[in-house]
Amino acid sequence: MAKDLILAQSLLEAEGTGARNRTGFSGLGIKKVLPLFPLTIFISVFFFWPIGAVFINAFKNNDGSFTWANYQLLFHEPYNKAFYNSVKLGLISALTGAIPGALVAIAIAQNGSVRLRKFIASISGVLANTGGVPLAFMFLAAFGPEGLATLAFKAMGLDLYGLGFTLFSFWGLVIIYSYFQIPIMVIVFMPALDSLRKEWRDAAYNLGASNTQYWLRVGIPLLTPSFVASFLLLFASGFSAFATARAMTVGNISLVPLIIGTLLDGNVTVNQFNLGYALAMGMIVVALLAMIPYLLIQARTSKWQR
Amino acid sequence: MAALKKRSITQSISGLLLLLIGVLIALPLVGAAEFSLRDGGRDKHSFKSYAWIFQQADFITNAVTTIEIAVVAVLVTFILMVPTVAWLHIYGKRYIKFVEVLTVLPLIIPVVALATGAALALPAWLQSTKYVLSMMYVVLAMPFTFRALDIGMRGVQLEILVAAGRNLGAPWRAVILKVITPVILPSIFAALFLTVALSLGEFTLAQLLHWTTFPTWVAVAAQGNILGATALSVGSLLTAWVLLFSFTFFDRKKTNHQEEE
Repeated sequence: MAKDLILAQSLLEAEGTGARNRTGFSGLGIKKVLPLFPLTIFISVFFFWPIGAVFINAFKNNDGSFTWANYQLLFHEPYNKAFYNSVKLGLISALTGAIPGALVAIAIAQNGSVRLRKFIASISGVLANTGGVPLAFMFLAAFGPEGLATLAFKAMGLDLYGLGFTLFSFWGLVIIYSYFQIPIMVIVFMPALDSLRKEWRDAAYNLGASNTQYWLRVGIPLLTPSFVASFLLLFASGFSAFATARAMTVGNISLVPLIIGTLLDGNVTVNQFNLGYALAMGMIVVALLAMIPYLLIQARTSKWQR
Repeated sequence: MAALKKRSITQSISGLLLLLIGVLIALPLVGAAEFSLRDGGRDKHSFKSYAWIFQQADFITNAVTTIEIAVVAVLVTFILMVPTVAWLHIYGKRYIKFVEVLTVLPLIIPVVALATGAALALPAWLQSTKYVLSMMYVVLAMPFTFRALDIGMRGVQLEILVAAGRNLGAPWRAVILKVITPVILPSIFAALFLTVALSLGEFTLAQLLHWTTFPTWVAVAAQGNILGATALSVGSLLTAWVLLFSFTFFDRKKTNHQEEE
């Protein structure tokens, strides 16, 4: 809290001095922030410009004049269904990632061996970054009809394919997504657990609390904001994942990123290009809904986590 | 005593849990590795599919393309981020929050949407070179590279070191080479490594901007030979693993070194 105040103050002061400089000596204000120019320009060109162009073009029709039609299409078949599927996939894969991921993180924190922790951190780093195409093929190989995993389950008496299992389905995607969602959860949730000081636990025990009481009254309340934040991040990652979904589905699940990909591939009319921009804006809005609370919670919790 | 006993019970429960999730994580990996070694049937194994990788003419071409893109992304990240963040910590502390917010934005926007915009907005001459991907990767990696550099420089209190160096009469060249560079080297290394990791595996932007890189090539190659694609996937995963592990090893040596001091 205090840190934010100081920052807010310093920002105000910065504005104040800037104003004074402008009235006194006009060049100095700009000169002072000159070293920030390269980065700001770079981000403007390669980030703000593209996003701004999407925003503007989503309002254009074929002739380039203003229209709401592209956005209106988002609320009709099949695009509303695609948004529904993508949000559902994001939420469910966030849940199937967040809960085991949090449990793994807690288990590591409790066992506390430095070596194990480093090992799991490295594995999580690789798995969280592998995502995409290799991940899809790994699952296809292992869980395919002839794959080792399928055979292993069969040996244990569980005939997956006899039960109608297929990776090329919504739940198939959920399973594959959890493969990068769980590691992301471990990575983002771990700092929260590390910041639960040992002293708090000892204090609770010394005051006669049981382990359950410690977790119910101290641990869980302290961890809830971080858990929610991590969940939101996982949602955004599952919602917007493209590579794995593209490699896995053969057009049988309609997801927003996949539709945008098809529209961008160019086998469509110009009109649908504009629709693609509206779809992209729709994705941005959904992602913002998850990421802004995420960043706010992170900013709050990072204060006592340091 | 009772609490201690309870804790050892929860410890064994958490140990079991780790084991269970470890098995679940290992299952597809091991399954895929075994599958990639198959030769014809379930019982015959060989490195045929791995040999197939190297017989592909496009393998080297696309691997080189991806490495070139990664190298440029790393160079741009280095030139752009390191001086900016160093300046922020030495002179521009009041702007750190602003840059922090600015650099975290790429994390918020779905890559698919950013790719859509890049294809739409960036001029043709820029989009006609594969290094447009490098530039986009610099932006995509920024939330992580800024954080890595920021934390690294915050930890060593850069502005104090620089002030001390200058007060003791060191010229700027010496301050940069002998004071700044050595202390922030681990965080530079971390930031650049993140950029490499991202550049080597990125699929969405490459695909949507119509470039053939290593990851997009794997997706295409798979349609012809699923065994080969599995071998490629397992191979690239293991490569990433070795890279990351060697990085954590390097990192640990650095921190040990600092602790000794």
